[in-house]
Amino acid sequence: MDEKALHSKLTASGVGGVGELDESAKDPFVVVEAGSLVAAMTFLRDDPDCRMEMCNCVTATERADAMELAYHVSSLSKHHSLTLKVSCPRPEGGDHDSWHPEVPSIAGVWSAANWHEREQWDLLGVKFTGHPDHRRILLPEEWIGHPLRKDFVYPTSAGEIPLELDAIPMYERDENAPAPESTSERKAGEPLTQPPAPFSSRPLASGGKTCEPDAPKEGDH
Amino acid sequence: MGLLNNTLPDIAPVKGIDAAVNWGRKSSLWPMTFGIACCAIEMMAVYAATFDLDRYGAGVPRATPRQSDLIIVPGTVNAKMAVRVRRLYDQMSEPRYVIAMGACVCGGGPYVKWGYNTVKGVHKIIPVDIFVPGCPPRPEALMDGILKLREKISRQAVFARRAETARLMDGRQA
Repeated sequence: MDEKALHSKLTASGVGGVGELDESAKDPFVVVEAGSLVAAMTFLRDDPDCRMEMCNCVTATERADAMELAYHVSSLSKHHSLTLKVSCPRPEGGDHDSWHPEVPSIAGVWSAANWHEREQWDLLGVKFTGHPDHRRILLPEEWIGHPLRKDFVYPTSAGEIPLELDAIPMYERDENAPAPESTSERKAGEPLTQPPAPFSSRPLASGGKTCEPDAPKEGDH
Repeated sequence: MGLLNNTLPDIAPVKGIDAAVNWGRKSSLWPMTFGIACCAIEMMAVYAATFDLDRYGAGVPRATPRQSDLIIVPGTVNAKMAVRVRRLYDQMSEPRYVIAMGACVCGGGPYVKWGYNTVKGVHKIIPVDIFVPGCPPRPEALMDGILKLREKISRQAVFARRAETARLMDGRQA
């Protein structure tokens, strides 16, 4: 099936909130409301004519007025694919610190989406409600901020690890010397990181599994 | 050798012993099995038969830092990895040597401006002996780095208290 047929299937399925098919793009996409995302995805997976077995990727794009998520799903047995988009409008004055758009998680539909969604949370600060293991995936656990946001402030250090080009090497640091002048927007000495919370106290919705140890030992990385 | 380190006079017999120790050290380097990113592919080529690092006595990478005296850092070091690199280096026994391989490790490379998470050169974390630039460096470049490291080791003062070593050590104690 081509995208048109898939779209008509989806609209006829009774899942609400499915928009028109945008064919102006090279890769036609369907805009879906956030509320009906899980229902639409479940239909696409389970319908015998659609049979979308694979979730290729979950990506997010920060626009001036919204956070736009794109889901690429495809069927290996039927040789077709579809792109779905969800748009989360930016509230008034919504910035890096205050605005974390919320989208229902599709990790229950395809478990492959689990890590994709964690990556979007890590880099762009999109919250996925109902995600089984909502943690950072690439950056350190104690990292502050989401670096692919437009208003992300570049850090000078991550913990004791210097990140600036003109930083003093760790083994040449003099504890008594005054703090060096920084060229970055963040002031020198201002910490990027906060001490990580103990692993046991981190919330894991719906009992997601973790490979972390129960309690961090003193001096353990 | 800790007790006699750089304490004997800088005379011919001591220099001879130094030369013998240095010859042993430089001819049997034990690199650590360690690769971070794309530079590691070139490093593997250097270990393999075509370039054959074993000709310089450094061809058997050890699987633990405790058995190795050379760490080649091949690939981008980011904030999360830097902690691990530092820890591995701390576990190595002395004398230990560090080769920074590739543009990222020499000073940030392509991530120097917008790399929010990249350590701008591994020399911010651990002291580096040899820098091998390139993105990634050709195997010949890494071999040249190994040769340069051999030269550096052969110039080391082990027992003799050489003038420049004495100056450095006195400055550090003061």
